Amino acid sequence: MSHTTKRLRYVAKRLVQAVPIVFAIVVLNFFLLQLAEGDAVDVLAGEAGSATPEYMAELRAKFGLDQPLPVQLAVYLKNVLMLDLGYSFRHEMPVSELILDRFWATLLLMVSTILLAVGFGIVLGLIAAVNLNTWKDTAISIFALITYATPLFWVGLMLIVVFSLNLGWFPTSGMENFAEFNEGWDRVFDIAHHLVLPTITLSLFYLALYTRLMRASMLEQAGQDYVTTARAKGLTERRIMFVHVLRNALLPVVTMAGVQVGALIGGSVIVESVFAWPGLGMLAFEALFARDLNLLLGIFLLSALLVVAVNLVVDIIYSSLDPRIEMS
Amino acid sequence: MTIRTWIAGALCVLGLALAGQPALAQKSGGTLVYIVQPEPPSLASYLSTSGPIGLVAPKIYEGLLDYDNDLNIVPALAESFDVSEDGKTVTFNLQKGVTWHDGEPFTSADVQFTVMEVLSKIHPRGPNSFREVTSIDTPDEHTAVFNLANPAPYMLRALSGYESPIVPKHLLEGQDIRSADLANKPVGTGPFKFVEWKKGQFVRLDKNENYWREGLPYLDRLVGRFIPDASTRTAAMENGEVMYAAYGAIPNIDAVRLRDTDGFSVTTEGYSMINPVSLIEFDTTEPPFDNPAMRKAISLALDRQFLIDNIWFGYGKPATSALSSNFSATGLYKEGLPNYVANADLDAAKAMLDEAGITPDGDGVRARAVLDLIPYGEDWRRAGEYMKQALAPIGIDLELRYEDVPTWLKRVYHNYDFAMNVNYFYQLPDPVLGVHRHYGTDQIRQGTHFVNSSRYSNAKLDDLLAAGAQEADADKRSEIYGEIQKILAEDMPVVNLFEMEFLTVYNDKLKGHDTSALGAYGSFAEAWLDE
Amino acid sequence: MAFWKLYIRNRSAVLGLAILVAIVVMAATAHLFYPDDPFRLAGQSMSPPGANGFLFGSDSLGRDVAAGIAHGAKTSLLIGIVATLVATFIGVIMGALAGYYGGLIDDLLMRTTEMFQTIPSFIFAILLVAIMKPSIESIIIAIAVVSWPGVARLVRGEFLSLRNREFVQACHTLGMSDIRIMLGEILPNCLSPIIVIGSLMVATAILIESGLAFLGLGDPNIMSWGFQIGAGRTLLRSAWWVCTFPGIAILITVLAINLVGEGLNDALNPRLRERQ
Repeated sequence: MSHTTKRLRYVAKRLVQAVPIVFAIVVLNFFLLQLAEGDAVDVLAGEAGSATPEYMAELRAKFGLDQPLPVQLAVYLKNVLMLDLGYSFRHEMPVSELILDRFWATLLLMVSTILLAVGFGIVLGLIAAVNLNTWKDTAISIFALITYATPLFWVGLMLIVVFSLNLGWFPTSGMENFAEFNEGWDRVFDIAHHLVLPTITLSLFYLALYTRLMRASMLEQAGQDYVTTARAKGLTERRIMFVHVLRNALLPVVTMAGVQVGALIGGSVIVESVFAWPGLGMLAFEALFARDLNLLLGIFLLSALLVVAVNLVVDIIYSSLDPRIEMS
Repeated sequence: MTIRTWIAGALCVLGLALAGQPALAQKSGGTLVYIVQPEPPSLASYLSTSGPIGLVAPKIYEGLLDYDNDLNIVPALAESFDVSEDGKTVTFNLQKGVTWHDGEPFTSADVQFTVMEVLSKIHPRGPNSFREVTSIDTPDEHTAVFNLANPAPYMLRALSGYESPIVPKHLLEGQDIRSADLANKPVGTGPFKFVEWKKGQFVRLDKNENYWREGLPYLDRLVGRFIPDASTRTAAMENGEVMYAAYGAIPNIDAVRLRDTDGFSVTTEGYSMINPVSLIEFDTTEPPFDNPAMRKAISLALDRQFLIDNIWFGYGKPATSALSSNFSATGLYKEGLPNYVANADLDAAKAMLDEAGITPDGDGVRARAVLDLIPYGEDWRRAGEYMKQALAPIGIDLELRYEDVPTWLKRVYHNYDFAMNVNYFYQLPDPVLGVHRHYGTDQIRQGTHFVNSSRYSNAKLDDLLAAGAQEADADKRSEIYGEIQKILAEDMPVVNLFEMEFLTVYNDKLKGHDTSALGAYGSFAEAWLDE
Repeated sequence: MAFWKLYIRNRSAVLGLAILVAIVVMAATAHLFYPDDPFRLAGQSMSPPGANGFLFGSDSLGRDVAAGIAHGAKTSLLIGIVATLVATFIGVIMGALAGYYGGLIDDLLMRTTEMFQTIPSFIFAILLVAIMKPSIESIIIAIAVVSWPGVARLVRGEFLSLRNREFVQACHTLGMSDIRIMLGEILPNCLSPIIVIGSLMVATAILIESGLAFLGLGDPNIMSWGFQIGAGRTLLRSAWWVCTFPGIAILITVLAINLVGEGLNDALNPRLRERQ
């Protein structure tokens, strides 16, 4: 069997395995959400000010919320199979449209966050590992831990106070300047400008993880046999560290980063809330409290699909980087 | 009695306004970015009175009338109106040459359709405001005649663009109005046209170049931004990214700070049509709160001034009756009622309980209850925490419960599964519109939100409420409401806490945003930027 | 004792342990120093630190921030520890069964674990708390539910590699029951990574609790650091002390727990041990 066929079969197998997981996620969340008191109609009516029970019953009928649960679930599953995520009663828009709209904002924030966190994490982890058990090592691990342990909203608000209000370098919030409605490259720069503070805030949180992972991974590799061999061959410590060890040590860090991009698609509710970043995290949060179940299920579904897909991609990349890892 | 209208008065007011600010030449142009919080569910103000809708929709839709800061009626889509001698016919003369944003002409048929088919059928408060309207005649394109079964003086207070928006017949007729596309793409006659709504970010309205009021609006564009976190809203205001934030979007503590900062101002104007009052609802059908003495003791033991000073940072007025003191303008408010205190009177509270035979057990506890808190922000949690501490000394042991909005609504208004609930209500410009719903027996409507969840029922009071709704004579009406307030102060089915003062924080560059009694729910036609 | 010797060689781990002990002592003695209800309106509101007899100042209702921190330590540690114990319990059972039996059981349990891992965890925690109503119990359950999958994967891996070792084979030959082998033989051999991951989970749990409180999903009747932060966050610009001190308390605790966790890791991880 050729390598390619083997790989394709592996991918197919993994995809088939993912189907029941995704299905189970939908069913589990569907029932979980039913446990919540009240429904979308209660919220809409409550916000509207006053609505008669007859009106609410009418709305429920319109949304299909008056159907027995198994029927509602069956309808939902049927729609999902046909790649239709349903309709958000609250926003009066198709769920897929709503999610797609926010997806890019989330992706932008998450990818830039992971890049920043991984970049700095690798550097800090490397420095710590090279200077094992010295003050540099300790200082780095304490710094990383402090950034991890400081509540995110506090960091976010302090960055706003310092960099937006006092220094005036960055806007406080949002994704674009809404007084101007820039276009073309101006818009790109404008969005990048708005992206800086939320990215820093969120990456501070993940920095600790990558620093620690990088440090541990470097130490792990440094103990391997090939290092001894390299030393025996008379290679310089520098060369061993920065060429051989580093390359191998990066593998788990990159894997982790890949996995996290998938898992982070749920966004960061707190950072999105503090910076008014229009991501999926806030959308999910608001959907929950508005009992907009179709929307929430849609977000969970998307998140599950992405995690499965990213895991798969990571595995494939991993196996090509390191042929010793068998795909089985 | 023919009320030949206020045109003279209105002209006079306009003249004063113009005379009062000769130095300020209004400048045209610019974009006003303001806070809309939270993001509205839709922009269908004809379907929902949800607060954030009110911040956007009245810029797009107009009402027949508007109200100035002294609550005088001023013209809007109706250039004048006429009430017949018996009060049963109200004729509106409409503005000429008004078009919808899509270019169609606005006519009396739109008014007829809006009131008969939309507002009085599916608007949350419309069926109440227009309950006496039996039909509307349209003798010509610019005249709408409302035929009433009984006089309804309060109706003329409910015709603003916020409360009763006039909607385009040609875009709604023959459709299911509740699911019409208009909800997300509004088309009105107002000073601003809907352009775009980017969910999670902003809603954008551009100047209506064909607005019927000559030279208005001044602004080129309005952008309503959604910023979920309160502290960030403050920062955005300080940074000049937004210039206007109403309905407490900026927390009071920050508003107080900005008030004392150059370049920013805070006002409590613009809420007189809303009249918000905070209160505690009780389950009056079951112990311990079926006993009026318990409720009155709570009223005496709570330090209303403490709540106002420490949680709302000085904004608010201790309640002194079931009606807000703002009703003194119409003569309906009654002073000097018992059982309302500004500062806690623990001895009186204890005496009240002792007298009623509610005595402390071995632990000094007279009653235990769960206090539900309205899930509309941190301030209410603080209020609950305060109440728990404040009522312990008189032997009422509370446990706090804070749930999300749907759970809470279901609990209080559907399941009646509560004992004591902190809440706030809009009393609106007339008690018929905003106050009757707490107390009338006909307002015990299980499953309907924000009505008589206390399930208080008093036949004598019901008669007085019915009489108050229809009485056209101001003196007699005042007498009736005085009686109503006396009964409520004795029975105290709900404990009114304080008259809330919502805050509007704005950048001093923004002018002319405060010309309407509706404040943030106004049209912003006359708002302009001095840059 | 060999373990202890290894542990104290790591100075920052010792420091972490010392801080942690101090926090536990503070939690245990809170009622001695601050005998009153920490929610009590103790005096002048918004007093800065040091003024009006408030060590760390008072909040908008005049509650003592220091008293809140002392009493809140109890809640925060309780939430962290109980949630971790529950998550570890679930994770160990799932992971042990999956790793020990393999095959269909492994497939089933691991798919379930993966399912939980694909749901965005913080949103899932919010969802669970919202459904169960905010209370200390629901917060603990929610944190445990989103935390156990990590433990399960770890334990499964350990069981997988240990189940074919000679000593386990020997137990089979002796006719020991599966449960005895799992609990008595394999589990003790994979305790160290469980302890390490568990110690870090305590810190994460404390952070999740404060995040939930920030979003208004704390227990309104119980003082915790998360509660203080949630209640103080709008005051940050006017009365920085109200949420900064509890924030520092969280920071120090999380830091200490992490240092202890790293110390445990270094002391328990044989490969690192050899190198040092």
